Amino acid sequence: MSASLEKGVAVLKEMIDAPIASYFNSCVHCGLCAEACLFYTETGDPKYTPIHKLEPLRRIYEQEYTLLGKLAKMVGLSKPVTDNELEEWKELVYNSCTLCARCSLVCPVGNDIVYMVRKFREGMAVSGHAPEGLIGATTRAIEIGSPMGVKLPAVQAQMKHVHKDVGIEIPMDQEGAEYMVLLSSMEIMNFPEYLGAIAKIMKQAGKTWTLCSTAFEATNSGIQIGSSDLAKVIVNRIVEGAERLKVKTVISPECGHAYTALRWDGANLVGRPFSFKVLHILEVLDEFRAQGLLKTEGFEMDRMTFHDPCQLVRRGGVVQQPRNLMNMVAKDFVEMEDAGKYNWCCGGGGGVSANEDAEELRLQVFKIKKGQLEKTGAKTMVTACANCRIILEEGLEHYQMDIPVVGLTEMIAEHLAESKS
Amino acid sequence: MNRRPTIAEQLARQGISRRAFLKFCAATASLMALPPGMAPAIAEALGKIRRPSVIWLSFQECTGCTESLTRSHSPTVESLIFDMISLDYHHTLQAASGEAAEHAREEAMKEPGYLVLVDGSIPIKDGGIYSTIAGISNLQMLKDTVENAAAVVSIGTCAAFGGIPMANPNPTGAAGVQALMDQGLIARKPVINVPGCPPIPAVITGVLAHYLTFGAIPPLDALGRPLNFYGDSIHDRCYRRPFYDQGKFAKTFDDEGARKGWCLFELGCKGPTTHNACATTKWNDGTSFPIESGHGCIGCSEPNFWDAGSFYKALSAPADPLSFAAGAAVAGAAVGVGMSFMNRAKKSSAKAAHETATLKDLEK
Repeated sequence: MSASLEKGVAVLKEMIDAPIASYFNSCVHCGLCAEACLFYTETGDPKYTPIHKLEPLRRIYEQEYTLLGKLAKMVGLSKPVTDNELEEWKELVYNSCTLCARCSLVCPVGNDIVYMVRKFREGMAVSGHAPEGLIGATTRAIEIGSPMGVKLPAVQAQMKHVHKDVGIEIPMDQEGAEYMVLLSSMEIMNFPEYLGAIAKIMKQAGKTWTLCSTAFEATNSGIQIGSSDLAKVIVNRIVEGAERLKVKTVISPECGHAYTALRWDGANLVGRPFSFKVLHILEVLDEFRAQGLLKTEGFEMDRMTFHDPCQLVRRGGVVQQPRNLMNMVAKDFVEMEDAGKYNWCCGGGGGVSANEDAEELRLQVFKIKKGQLEKTGAKTMVTACANCRIILEEGLEHYQMDIPVVGLTEMIAEHLAESKS
Repeated sequence: MNRRPTIAEQLARQGISRRAFLKFCAATASLMALPPGMAPAIAEALGKIRRPSVIWLSFQECTGCTESLTRSHSPTVESLIFDMISLDYHHTLQAASGEAAEHAREEAMKEPGYLVLVDGSIPIKDGGIYSTIAGISNLQMLKDTVENAAAVVSIGTCAAFGGIPMANPNPTGAAGVQALMDQGLIARKPVINVPGCPPIPAVITGVLAHYLTFGAIPPLDALGRPLNFYGDSIHDRCYRRPFYDQGKFAKTFDDEGARKGWCLFELGCKGPTTHNACATTKWNDGTSFPIESGHGCIGCSEPNFWDAGSFYKALSAPADPLSFAAGAAVAGAAVGVGMSFMNRAKKSSAKAAHETATLKDLEK
């Protein structure tokens, strides 16, 4: 194995770009990012201040690219970054940052702190300081094709189950279909209802769609661990699959970072424009709604609230769509405090859920979500990210709250008007 | 001599309510930049003390300082404060004249610890014959009066630093009070300089109130001026300061910049080197101050202001400030460009050296 400090520092030198230089120079040390970070608000420990999580990166920037930093390093005022230091920072960069970007949003000088955390992770990964859980997930994603080790036969088995359940055959490798549907491992293994829901909705809307045998997995561990090279390998599969099947649109599933990876990072990773559009499933559903292709009947009567996945609202701008959809099927839809772009993270995004040693901290910071939820008095929590869903379920179980968490797509599918189908 | 009434008694006799008195104390506290909580302390202090005897000596002066104090709006803190001191001698204000007036001064001097206020400079050339009162030279009168004084307050730039009478060629050998003490011509006593031509009336009374309240002289700067009024330069507190910072200057008194209220530095404003409270306390009951009327500060509260060159010559004019700045900018830019090329080279070599990360690279 070939990870080393030298490799890490070399990569960081490469990663430091104009935005990072201007961010470090414009930081006014106001501390607002601390108040925006659930790891700080729930623990009160100043080491979780987002900009502090980047301290080694800042030093490398100063030592390599600024005159004063070079001088300080020369006379020993600024110490070089060491392996031990990076190991110490592992917890701050991987376990206590979900890439939720609440800090980036509140920063008064507009520093995109998450942008920097992701760049920092690039150096951490190749210097051997990525957490075991994420290394495992990434290895499986590259070698097997999915972070949870799901292979094509498992998908095919689920396709059969779903066919039996909803009575609709699931299309695979249909060239020329309008939509190519991606899944997250979590949906294949834990929430197969999603696939059934898609089948029903597409049938009602009269759209052609397909799964792809070489690119069914949407998630991208490369993004989470911080390795653009590996992220590129994973994105490439989807690009090749979509181009082979000549689809018009690729639908990112109920997953947060998969959307970021494909919609915002994807074309940059592969280095050329996509020949297809990328939409999140909620964007597709809202389009169907606007075109009158999505007809529902009946309402959920219980009080419900919607948890915004960070990558969808803050990084993705998908804010209004879930509200439109919720109001189609929920009579008593209430918003949590800070709902929308200021929503608090579930605590498990950005790869945190893959790190076992982060679990205790993750459950501790879940208190903020718990408090938000309790204030609404909602009986059911709806979301649109399988990872959020698992984390929310775990958190609610830990705090012994009997509140089911459901995916918005499934809930819509359950209310599809039968007459139209 | 009868027992002097306390200030509270004196005020009651004059029909001034306690409320009005407290208002004065609060105003004085804020004037002296003291915390509001000090107002009751001032009231207590001023209420209890016997009105201290004050002897006001006017020498080579224009009476502007007295005018400043007495011509201010009424009723004012200024008038109140004069009800609190026993102004035993002031030859401009007192009704008595001649023998009777001098007698009042001599009476007051019998009880040591009085306060001496001086306005005007003192001529010392030729035995001080250039200014006499009742046949006594100013120097002699000051020498006699200061002997038993608790402190001296030099009101106005003439008394503080010599002022206009001392200006070149200084035919009378005029000097300020502090200078006479330094030369050993009069006894050394604590001196508070309240310069200005004239000083702001509220500053005069503020200094007196401070002395009466605390029984001590306020913190002073190197020139003996109370820091709470002379701590900041006019420039630092000037409302036109933002224009200075932006490099927007009026070039003549009627150009576009002057009309837009830009900085008067280039028209000779001495604000940057002048310490006084004009920009904050202002004049004529807080109406305005010279810069607000479109004229630069002439620096009247600083020593030698009259001889310090034209009022209309800019304070400092580097031979060519812009080309100097441009030179510095070019040098800075060159360093910056150099750094940027070095950094670019470093970054691109890091990029060129990029080894595509594989799974092997994730573990040590």
